[in-house]
Amino acid sequence: MGIVVEKRLTPSTSWQVASIILALLASGLVSALLLKSAGADLGTAFGALWDGAFGGWRASWKTLVKATPLILTGVAVAVAFRARIWNIGAEGQLFMGAIMSYWVYTLVGTLPPIILIPILFIAGFVGGGLYGGLAGWLKARFQVSEILTTVMLNYVATYFLSFLLIGPWRNPDSFFQQSPPIDRAARLPNLIGGTKLHLGFLVAILAVAVIYVLISRTSLGYEIRAMGMNAKAARFKGINVERTAVIVMLISGGVAGLAGVTEVFGVQGKLKPDISVGFGFTGIIIAVLALLNPIAIIFVAILFGGFVNGGIKLQVATGVPSTLTDAIQAIILLFFLTAAVLARYKFRLGTKDE
Amino acid sequence: MQPLLKVENVTKRFHQVVANDSVSFEVMPGEIHCLLGENGAGKSTIAECIYGFYKPDKGSISVNGEVLDLDSPAEAIRHGIGMVHQHFVLVTSMTVLENIVIGTDAATAILNLQSATDRIKAICARYEVEIDLNSKVWQLTVGQQQWVEILKALFLGARLLIMDEPTAVLTPQESRRLFKIFREMTGDGMSIILISHKLDEVMQSDRVTVLRKGKRVGTVVTRDSSKSELTNLMVGRDVNLNLVRERSDVGLPMLVVSGLHAANDFGTDKLNGVDLTLNRGEIVGIAGVAGNGQKELFETLMGVRRATSGRVMLADQDITNKTPREVQQAGIGHVPDDRFAEGLIPDFDIQSNLVLGVHRDQPFARRGFLKFGQIRSFAKQAMDEFAIQAPSAQTICRTLSGGNAQKVIVAREFAQASRVILANQPSRGLDVGVIEYMHKRLFEKRKEGFAILIASEELDELLALSDRILVLFKGQIVGEFSHGAVDLERVGLLMAGHFDDAPNPNADRSL
Repeated sequence: MGIVVEKRLTPSTSWQVASIILALLASGLVSALLLKSAGADLGTAFGALWDGAFGGWRASWKTLVKATPLILTGVAVAVAFRARIWNIGAEGQLFMGAIMSYWVYTLVGTLPPIILIPILFIAGFVGGGLYGGLAGWLKARFQVSEILTTVMLNYVATYFLSFLLIGPWRNPDSFFQQSPPIDRAARLPNLIGGTKLHLGFLVAILAVAVIYVLISRTSLGYEIRAMGMNAKAARFKGINVERTAVIVMLISGGVAGLAGVTEVFGVQGKLKPDISVGFGFTGIIIAVLALLNPIAIIFVAILFGGFVNGGIKLQVATGVPSTLTDAIQAIILLFFLTAAVLARYKFRLGTKDE
Repeated sequence: MQPLLKVENVTKRFHQVVANDSVSFEVMPGEIHCLLGENGAGKSTIAECIYGFYKPDKGSISVNGEVLDLDSPAEAIRHGIGMVHQHFVLVTSMTVLENIVIGTDAATAILNLQSATDRIKAICARYEVEIDLNSKVWQLTVGQQQWVEILKALFLGARLLIMDEPTAVLTPQESRRLFKIFREMTGDGMSIILISHKLDEVMQSDRVTVLRKGKRVGTVVTRDSSKSELTNLMVGRDVNLNLVRERSDVGLPMLVVSGLHAANDFGTDKLNGVDLTLNRGEIVGIAGVAGNGQKELFETLMGVRRATSGRVMLADQDITNKTPREVQQAGIGHVPDDRFAEGLIPDFDIQSNLVLGVHRDQPFARRGFLKFGQIRSFAKQAMDEFAIQAPSAQTICRTLSGGNAQKVIVAREFAQASRVILANQPSRGLDVGVIEYMHKRLFEKRKEGFAILIASEELDELLALSDRILVLFKGQIVGEFSHGAVDLERVGLLMAGHFDDAPNPNADRSL
């Protein structure tokens, strides 16, 4: 007799729900221990976390603002992962989207906003898309692992942005490495008066809708799913997996590039080296936690957005180091990933193969 | 005489599925006892219970009157039970000797290889097996590798040897030789449990225990039985695998392959100038031991693998090295040998798998969007037509049985192909009933004027289906026989690479 682990033929829904609750409880517990060990009062800590995230109107729209780039990078990663292409480069693609859209802004920034803003988003999509497409092409043409290329291209993008902000695009009047401020007229308009919830949030939701339809309703989406589940059979039945890989990376990079636009033109109002604080990487976590489901990504991203803001409040209220909130995020991820695996297995007492 | 092995009322459940339901049989010393049954009848499960890999839920297994309570194969081996699995468990980068002694007393702490070598050599001499103990296993033929497995069991002192589908990978000559040696072993008092579904070799056993759906339906003395009685016991009804061949008017050449060369994924040449012609309304069978280029031939024809030279003509259209999509659009359908890895997207549902390949085309898609209504109604129709048993068209293919999975592939390919059907091992691992059904459908296609190419390791199947049989050896067609003029003996020799008209006297010895 012992504990027997067996794979389930079909995932059980009740277990999936139970495992999520279990993961929440477990991560809450371990996070509490961590906070306690840092000397924080738990009531204050969790209270501050909630207040910062969803405690009231102001906190809530701020959370949506934070969630905007995460929705975009999350869905960008999900498209690629659906095809089993491991795009770890949403961060770099975001930067390239930001760079491209800022460059276009410097050329045609005086156009009326109604024309200019769509052009900026298109530019961001093209910038990120071409950058992702480069990794896709290297994979299709030379069988270079996209994991390596996308990770390394992240560095190239980061340093390219640095170069631009030290050199040609630097604001001569500023002490910091950043561009001159962007005209008010060129910034993304706010959706609701009295808030800073900008147009980018709507664009992110729209991107999710488009990707959802693309994946589940179109022939291309069918090919992306087929390739992700069994590339060999897909190839045998005439799907050009190389070409599809390039297309997937164009789309994935493009969507990540949109996040660059929302941050530069919706939040910062200028191009800075820190327009993204790891949004591209957090996007991976979000996509995986949402089981690559575009709709679920919206909710997970909002949860993570709340976590970022709540984390700031938590630090202020309790004085724990900021790295602690990163640790708590990682703990949540680990428990959720474990739970996702658990839901696919069955445990019981007994002997093997009974 | 006391039975060597006694299996009494063994029941084994996996979840809700009863794999063995109160199965009993006895194996006498010196007996070849065959376990016969369709896929999923419980043959392998009962064998694995005897070998200690599974523990029965109920019932007992005794050897020489002593009831065994085995927890592992290691204990079974200690009681003189050995097993050779269908898929060998060998370390291919190690030598024959190392593979035999690995995990035995001879391999503990200080290697005592000399006495082990002597003992193995004595066993080889006894059964007149020639095998170089110092060659690496990957250098051996499949038949020789099987011998390494058998030697290992004998070296460990097996008195009862369980052979799981031993001849699936052998030429007819090799299997005959194997059975001759089985007889010598039983002459020495050993017993053999033979798991098989090939009636020809089942007929060489002493007794047959037939299993159906986990239950024993009977044990018969082979001498007093017949193939048709055994089939009837196994399937539960009369089966006719030799369907009446209607005359078919063989037409003009449809697919002409000339001088085709191709390499496998590791760059080794696997096709060395294949020439063959498929005519309209004709089934051509390819005989050959696995690994002689069958897979590469089909893949190259389908455009999945590059032809390094040679030409493939479909009617008057050159389709050499066209993309898979172009080849399929030209009217060629393909049933690959590995259903779940190459034929299906296992995590897709049935309806999605049924439109794989035409998912961009009318009527299943328009302007890039899938037409789910059309896909669903096509799937329903295909499931009816091919008797695919599943709860609905939205059933995930991973959960289907091999037979139903194969039907999904065949339904798809028959719907998409318009001129040629290529099928590699179409009935491997399928139940007799499904095989019979597949043969019927293939004959229908032949009548419609399709040119059909089939590779199979079952010569009986090729005999039943083919208008012509070609023998493939080391990537070349080395023989051709028309239906009714097939010399099985010659086919077997050609499969093993003996091309002289006079049978090679050493053929039997070189395993």
